[in-house]
Amino acid sequence: MEDKEERIETSLVAIVIDATPAKKFASQPLDGSSMMNRIFDSLIAFGNAHLMQASHNKLAIIACNSKSTKFLYPSMDGNSRSYQNRPGQYDMFAKVDSDVRHGLGELILNDLTDNDSTKSDSLLGGAMARALCYIHRVQRELSLSHQLKPRVLVVSGSCDSALQYMTFMNVFFTAQKENVVIDCCMMDTDSGLLQQGCDITGGQYLHIPSVAGLLEYLLWVFLPSPSCRSKIVLPPPTKVDYRAACFCHHKLVDIGWVCSVCLSIFCKFSIMCTTCNTEFKLNRPAIVPAKSKKRARIE
Amino acid sequence: MADEDETKEYRWESGYEKTWEAIKEDDDGLLESNVADLVARAKRKRAALKATGAIQLGMMRHLFVVVDASACMFLQDLKPTRFLCVLKLLEVFVHEFFDLNPISQLGILTTKMKRSEQITVLAGNQKKHIEALQQLKDLSCEGEPSLQNSLERAMNGLKNMPAHSSREILVLFGSLTTCDPGDIQKTIKALKDNNIRVSIIGLAAEVRICREIAKKTGGTYNVLIDDHHLKELILSQVQPPAVAGSIEASLVKMGFPGGTPSVNDGTSDSSADHAPAYCLCHIDSETSSLMGPNGYNCPQCGSRYCELPVECKQCGLTLVSAPHLARSYHHLFPIKPFIERAQVPNTTHCFACAKLFVEAETNVYECENCHQIVCLDCDLFIRETLHTCPGCASDPVTAQMKTN
Repeated sequence: MEDKEERIETSLVAIVIDATPAKKFASQPLDGSSMMNRIFDSLIAFGNAHLMQASHNKLAIIACNSKSTKFLYPSMDGNSRSYQNRPGQYDMFAKVDSDVRHGLGELILNDLTDNDSTKSDSLLGGAMARALCYIHRVQRELSLSHQLKPRVLVVSGSCDSALQYMTFMNVFFTAQKENVVIDCCMMDTDSGLLQQGCDITGGQYLHIPSVAGLLEYLLWVFLPSPSCRSKIVLPPPTKVDYRAACFCHHKLVDIGWVCSVCLSIFCKFSIMCTTCNTEFKLNRPAIVPAKSKKRARIE
Repeated sequence: MADEDETKEYRWESGYEKTWEAIKEDDDGLLESNVADLVARAKRKRAALKATGAIQLGMMRHLFVVVDASACMFLQDLKPTRFLCVLKLLEVFVHEFFDLNPISQLGILTTKMKRSEQITVLAGNQKKHIEALQQLKDLSCEGEPSLQNSLERAMNGLKNMPAHSSREILVLFGSLTTCDPGDIQKTIKALKDNNIRVSIIGLAAEVRICREIAKKTGGTYNVLIDDHHLKELILSQVQPPAVAGSIEASLVKMGFPGGTPSVNDGTSDSSADHAPAYCLCHIDSETSSLMGPNGYNCPQCGSRYCELPVECKQCGLTLVSAPHLARSYHHLFPIKPFIERAQVPNTTHCFACAKLFVEAETNVYECENCHQIVCLDCDLFIRETLHTCPGCASDPVTAQMKTN
């Protein structure tokens, strides 16, 4: 029996692509086209596959590298670029394809021409923050008859950036609050931070053994929506390491000392907190004066 | 706060406040955009007041909630009755409190028949408190409340707490009278000596002794206007309060269980760590859960627990996970308010959500550090929920954390 008040479920996938050129991929040719090309082809195919699932499904693609982040689709360029679509191809697929290629080209060119020497890790945190803002906007703009089911798919090959810890944690907690599921597809390396994020939001984390099969993994694991994932046999969840890293050596600690003012973690007891410069009271037990022993009377 | 009230006139003594003139129709004769604009402005103002920079906040909080259960709580000025309305809002409060202050502890007391009773002890377990609140719904409200008895009882519970924690009492007081056994001034003095902050939310009218208690202990006293205002007042207590400066800082020893043994670390993974074991959190109850390898082992004594945060019953070590501490970090690094300015001709889209700026939007917001432009909705979202500026996070210079 159909519920008359059932709202149409609109699934929104925001793909966050880490386009930091890993030297390993850029120089490895495969069948004439480079690995990077294949990765981007797979991602566009995945995006179009998602749009094909239902007519009101939505897509957003954001790319980032170590210099900047950029909205690839929907494109922020005001001018509508003309795109050629093959006869019989759905217009939107051609638009996605053309916007993504053009945007990625601009992003990579910016990276090469910009001679600014600030070394930075990949700006994944910023890209995920923009994805969440976009999801928030779509949620507000959607009419009441639609119910939005948002999720974010992060495709990355970079290691964790410890300096962006705060940004990542803020993004994860916001996603948890807004019911956004964060999935992660890692090529090449493992990322502890993204593992924590997937665990916090209830998403799927996958470390791909071979990048050549990226499209297969994306379509198999990440295309189904979270509500039907329980019916599918997916890769088992990894045990997440929730230990904290101490602020002084960045080593993972089992038992640490936490400053009560700023909550920074230290591996050893010290007199002053280096983050907030507060002095700590030493908790020494009070020294009890030795009682003079009374000689027991022997009777 | 009370000083201002004494020098100012009462509201009926000052002239008429023509509040209807603030709302004007726009060109099409519609009021919606105007009302939405006013609401957004009010939100921004409140958010801007909060972001005042690095004040010392009490992160580890020990809070007692005292609920008035006297006869006046059966009045129906809040639907369905005052008592039920308060209980429902307290469930939301408990949920939000542990969300925002994961390493804090909460306890619930009620006061009726000139005595006070303890419903739950100070604990960090969210479910126990919510269950207790749900069971309270059947409680009959009768008798008179006793402010002094409930404050004394709460104080006994808080006295033994470590000095570095922020000790607070929140009283939801619906009566206009109180029946006390002794001199309440002595209680107030004792509260002050123990550094306990008392905040009171009045459900009926302003009571002078409540104003005095709140003022002397450094808390707040508010009387509600309607049920939405009550929700706002209760939820405003969720935010960590600024510390008066007399709290001693100390290093607290905490354990971080749940680590996967990695080859680099050198930590040994004994098979006992993942063997099925009874968890210590359910060992007292009749339905003890036999757990598989899921669960957390205390690093100091090895006892098993189902969920964090928890205080180890065996060795007394507080067990938390890193995200619990990270939840409070955004208070320490607040974002500066964005500058409001008229539309800039070069930027056509909002940086955060890629929305096209239409002519009707008069104001856009710019971040001081990264100079990116965002729209009003993104500004509110960033300020209230995200706590990170996407522009600063997308710029390689500002993305790195300043404190290391």
